[in-house]
Amino acid sequence: MIRIKNISKNLGEFFLRDVTLDIEAGNYFMILGPTGAGKTILLEAMAGIYRPDRGEIWLDGRNITNIPPRDRNISMVYQDYMLYPHLSVEKNIAFGLKLKKIPKEKIKDKIEDITNMLGIHHLLHRFPGTLSGGEKQRVAIARAMVTEPKALLLDEPLSALDTQTREILREELHKIHINTKTTIVHVTHNFEEVFSLGDSMAVMNEGKIVQVGRPDEVFKRPNSEFVANFVGVENLFRGKSTINNGISTINVNGISIVSTTCKSGDSIISIRPEDILVSRKKIESSARNSFNGKIKSIVDKGPIIKIVTDLGIPFSAIITRQSFNNMELKRGTSAYFTFKASDVHFI
Amino acid sequence: MLKRFKESKIKIISIFFSLLLALFILVQIICIVTHTTLPALIISICSKEMQFAIALSLITSVISTILCIIISIPTAYALARYDFFGKSLINTMLDVPLALPPLVAGVGLLILFGTTSFGKTLADAGLVFVFTPLGIIIAQFSVNVPFMFRILRGTFQGINPRYEHIAQTLGCTELQAFWHVTLPMAKNGLLAGSIITWSKGIGEFGAALMLAGATRMKTETLPISLYLNMSCGELNLAIAAATILIVISLGSLFIFEKYGGFAKVF
Repeated sequence: MIRIKNISKNLGEFFLRDVTLDIEAGNYFMILGPTGAGKTILLEAMAGIYRPDRGEIWLDGRNITNIPPRDRNISMVYQDYMLYPHLSVEKNIAFGLKLKKIPKEKIKDKIEDITNMLGIHHLLHRFPGTLSGGEKQRVAIARAMVTEPKALLLDEPLSALDTQTREILREELHKIHINTKTTIVHVTHNFEEVFSLGDSMAVMNEGKIVQVGRPDEVFKRPNSEFVANFVGVENLFRGKSTINNGISTINVNGISIVSTTCKSGDSIISIRPEDILVSRKKIESSARNSFNGKIKSIVDKGPIIKIVTDLGIPFSAIITRQSFNNMELKRGTSAYFTFKASDVHFI
Repeated sequence: MLKRFKESKIKIISIFFSLLLALFILVQIICIVTHTTLPALIISICSKEMQFAIALSLITSVISTILCIIISIPTAYALARYDFFGKSLINTMLDVPLALPPLVAGVGLLILFGTTSFGKTLADAGLVFVFTPLGIIIAQFSVNVPFMFRILRGTFQGINPRYEHIAQTLGCTELQAFWHVTLPMAKNGLLAGSIITWSKGIGEFGAALMLAGATRMKTETLPISLYLNMSCGELNLAIAAATILIVISLGSLFIFEKYGGFAKVF
């Protein structure tokens, strides 16, 4: 496991302030934060590129604060790949193995394994300049993983990719984590990545860790205004989903929500507050989800109003000021919250 | 057609000037190479004196270029990568030779090596720079090192330090990361810098004249030979030296443009 104890580092524009963090072995740990929060320096401090001004870093019970990067056995992948342009894909991946003086035959086997796993075996003789973004990032991941590191640090690894490639690579990362059980620390500002990959997460701001926890806990119970504003995702629920006749029913704290997306098992779902219809009386419609509850709070956001109800789980809906006035909604008023099964998204 | 001419007066005038300037340069070169006949040129190039000048020029310029590379790599790396006290002052000092007339640099070198105890200590140790070929090397080095340094600094600045960071996490020491990653990635800059430094070294005259003097068959490089033969009327030999210098300059210019387009010299 990685223990970060009170580390501080000042690099002028970017800095860390008294960061303490424990990352369990085998965990997929997400670090979320705005630009300039110090996420990258934190990764670089773990990798050993910067020595902290104060504090200590421990890896599996060993104090590695003053150990150079090459002896830490921690690999890193940057957003912009950093593949060596003068080396072929094969030589890029073999880079770390060659330095460790591993016999040629064994290097070949390892490269064979990792490239087959990542589906880049056919690229071995190409040069980085000729690869697509997704291919480059696979090669960068292969180069980092082939040395069998104790931890893999990913600095916004999917941010430079197009949506489709990003989704495929996200699956790929998930697979790598399942297969290798390597501790992964993944820096991002993308919420979907946090939910689809993260076992735990930390939110960073201005060089500090602001909140640590399971992703759904952090999103559901932000501990500060900053986190609440930054994560800003509402109607996020964890539950067990079962598929029946082509539709999923997700049980969230005893409430059954229906979705047209088919996915079973433990899942996280989200419903956009704008997709929820609010009415005083029950309405007959094609929408499959309709719940009755009392309005718990009303947040005035100018032209739109946010209404929050508690159905055992907190539900937020956004409506226009005009409908709000027409319906004469107040705190404590009973209302129906209705939304279509196709508006229930799995994360 | 006439209308278009009227519309772009500035275009016509400016293009006219650029053509005029190009022509002016071309004429100079043509004047030199046509001033002699081919057989006379060949005889001159084969003469003992010219052979000596060519050899001395090649040897001194190659050595001074290697010196420039050795000194410029760490210097350029430091100024590209690190922030430290006095950095901008050092940057300015390293640019001074670009602005200084080579003759002045030569006087400085002459006083340094000829009159100070530092120069005398070196001379006692067998390193005599005044009026020797060794002086030519030092003169070329001190005038041309800024070219090498500036190209390399630009090259290193263009290489993201994260390449080295990754190399370190994969098992490199800092030095290995530089050697296996940054240096190979700087290949084009190194090549371009070496070519321009070498070709400048071959043509170096002012500083070399001051420090090493112009002694026939002793410190006679191609430019010195050109100067000596011009002054005593040996026109054929002078033209031969000039022609060789032209060929070298144009050749290096071509290679520099091909590999060093990204690097700024000034």
